[in-house]
Amino acid sequence: MSLGFLPQLPPVFGQPALVGALLLAGLLGGEIVRRTLGLPRITGYVLAGVLLGPQVSGFLAPGALLEARVLIDVSLGLIVFELGHRLDFQWLQRNRWLFAAAIAESVLCFALVMLALLAFGFQPLLAATAAAIGTATSPAVVLLVAHELRAAGQVTERMLLFTAVNSVVAYVALTLLLPFLHLEHATSWHEAILHPVYILAGSALVGFVASLTLLWLAGWVRKREDRQFILLIALVVLAVGAARSLNLSVVVTLITLGMLARNFDYEHVLLPLRFGYGGQLFFVILFVLTGASLEFDALPAVAGAVLAFIVARFLGKGLALATFGRMSGVRPANAALLTLALMPMSGLAVVMVLDTAAMYPAFGGELAAVVLSAVAVLEILGPIATQIALQRAGEADPAAGSA
Amino acid sequence: MATLEFTASPGHTLGVELELQLVQSHDFDLARDAAELLARLEKVRLPGAVKPEITESMIELNTSVHTRHDALSAELGQMRDAVVKEAGMLNLRVCGGGTHPFHSWTARRIFPTERFRHILDRYGYLAKQFTVFGQHIHLGCADGDAAVYLVHMMTRYVPHFIALSAASPFYQGEDTSFHSSRLTAVNAFPLAGHMPFVADWAEFNEYFDKMRAFGVVESMKDFYWDIRPKPEFGTIEIRVCDTPLTVARAAALAAYAQALAKWLLEERPRPALRAVYLVNAFNRFEAARFGLRGQLIDPFEERKRPLADDVLDALAVVAPHAEALGSAEVLAGLAAEVRRGYSDADWLRERFAANRSLAHTVRESAALWAGDKPRDSG
Repeated sequence: MSLGFLPQLPPVFGQPALVGALLLAGLLGGEIVRRTLGLPRITGYVLAGVLLGPQVSGFLAPGALLEARVLIDVSLGLIVFELGHRLDFQWLQRNRWLFAAAIAESVLCFALVMLALLAFGFQPLLAATAAAIGTATSPAVVLLVAHELRAAGQVTERMLLFTAVNSVVAYVALTLLLPFLHLEHATSWHEAILHPVYILAGSALVGFVASLTLLWLAGWVRKREDRQFILLIALVVLAVGAARSLNLSVVVTLITLGMLARNFDYEHVLLPLRFGYGGQLFFVILFVLTGASLEFDALPAVAGAVLAFIVARFLGKGLALATFGRMSGVRPANAALLTLALMPMSGLAVVMVLDTAAMYPAFGGELAAVVLSAVAVLEILGPIATQIALQRAGEADPAAGSA
Repeated sequence: MATLEFTASPGHTLGVELELQLVQSHDFDLARDAAELLARLEKVRLPGAVKPEITESMIELNTSVHTRHDALSAELGQMRDAVVKEAGMLNLRVCGGGTHPFHSWTARRIFPTERFRHILDRYGYLAKQFTVFGQHIHLGCADGDAAVYLVHMMTRYVPHFIALSAASPFYQGEDTSFHSSRLTAVNAFPLAGHMPFVADWAEFNEYFDKMRAFGVVESMKDFYWDIRPKPEFGTIEIRVCDTPLTVARAAALAAYAQALAKWLLEERPRPALRAVYLVNAFNRFEAARFGLRGQLIDPFEERKRPLADDVLDALAVVAPHAEALGSAEVLAGLAAEVRRGYSDADWLRERFAANRSLAHTVRESAALWAGDKPRDSG
């Protein structure tokens, strides 16, 4: 009797099972953390990822993580698209101090983190690279915490705006550091110059073309929420795919797409953005995967530098908001809360570290350990900080927390 | 001495209160930043006052006391510009209209002051449902007896003000089929309705004392009547109007009320009539449901006629008084709009029909409020 129809034992599970397991783990982790500790669900997604990851159970092997990179990119793409879409140029025009405050927040954060790392004896170029990565607040965390709390108000709006700006600044700074890394690695000077130009200009161009396509097709399908939702997902995923295939930056491409779709919409064809339940699927996957890729091993060894990194980052943001906050219309109490809300680091930073380390192995090792350890700490604590800040600001919907 | 002292306020004075919506610029749902906006506006020198209202999505403009339409209109314009500018700094938009077309009332939070918390405790979900936006018009009266007479006589014209201001066809995401759906939300309150048919200020005081002794009310504020005397201001307050979509219309409505009051108080064309209150509910419904296309029962003439005709006749009757008050031109403009069949409610429905999105309808309404040039395309 042949039983050839039976699978091999143990059976090999492919991508569908992986995605399902990620979602289920995220759901359970999020709910347990919410119900027992009152913490943001995101923290639960991350912890579920940590448990599944190579660090603890090994259910998710490092290879699986690499395969899942496409899921991370699509999820991240959706998030930075939404973030870009919240960036209103008219607001920045009306409130110039706001733009100044956002730039100052990025610049001071970068400067203080770099100083801190130099103090720990890191090489200037590598310290600058790490500082650039540290400048960005996690778009995914702030957006998701804001969604989860149904937060609305000045702290929420500014948190999203500052996150959009510091994510762009971080990415541009990182890209501009590329020539120096290139030269360090003895590649030719024209490659050193052309590479960042290609990444920034190429990403912006793809984002621009995608935004025009989006607006044109949105005008054609008209204001139907269901159709515009499909259209958005289609173009976001297409843009992510194009950016990956062309070796461009997913983040710059998608944030450009979001910004231009919002600010070029002169005919007002787009409906307000609502990703709803569908969007949440991607976010859960993103956070579980980020959790699985967190690295705590190096933390004890570099604890001092990690602490300095986190404190310098916090001070940089706080200093900028204390200086420019009032002029841009933030009350002092809210400036402090805003600083707290901008703490999270996450998937975006991991991606930046991995990409940089892939191109320049010298970046790996100790410095990557510092940044990734800081990410690990802030991935867990960041959502909690953001949640506390929005609740203290009185911008969270009291009914949303328990829901 | 009477419980309620009526402050004399002669000379056909008027003042306006406008409740405005604060909306977010990214999805045009109601915002919650009234406190932030008010903090900014405290630093701006303005002739009137800007105050918090019951929810965090609402602010109220109070003009100072005026005798002429042009000054009132200029002041409203100045306040509008300041509010729009400061709101812009916070990435908020401001708009008129009696309701927000699609907000969900469960998401509303009540402004954290004691009186408002009390209202929430007392009225429960009604308080949140009461996220509606109205215009109140104050008209000065020489004494309490004049105020009582004016309330009774003005009640006949309540449908005019409902229809002329109507700007709330959408509520909770739906076309209600009404021109003013806001009025329905007001009706739910136990002390909504109208003043009883008292003969004079002394009798009104007896009534008020009785209601207070029963424990029904504590102060005049507890009456949510369509028109109520406001003895400390020396005015009567018409409260049936939706906040119009523009300050121009808000000022024009006030000018019409002022001219009507001058005519009624100076000429005393008829004695007050109890039957006004018999037909009031019918007339009010017609105006709220159909706007200027509704019917009106005239209790004095005992006949039913199209509301628009009644408005045009009244505008003609008060024209000499408007002339004296300097508002003849404004009322002529209002009459022209009535003939044309224009209403803010129809404008909102037209915009929605054109762009098929309530969010974009709010966007256009905010642009209209701010005085932007309207774009042709949706």
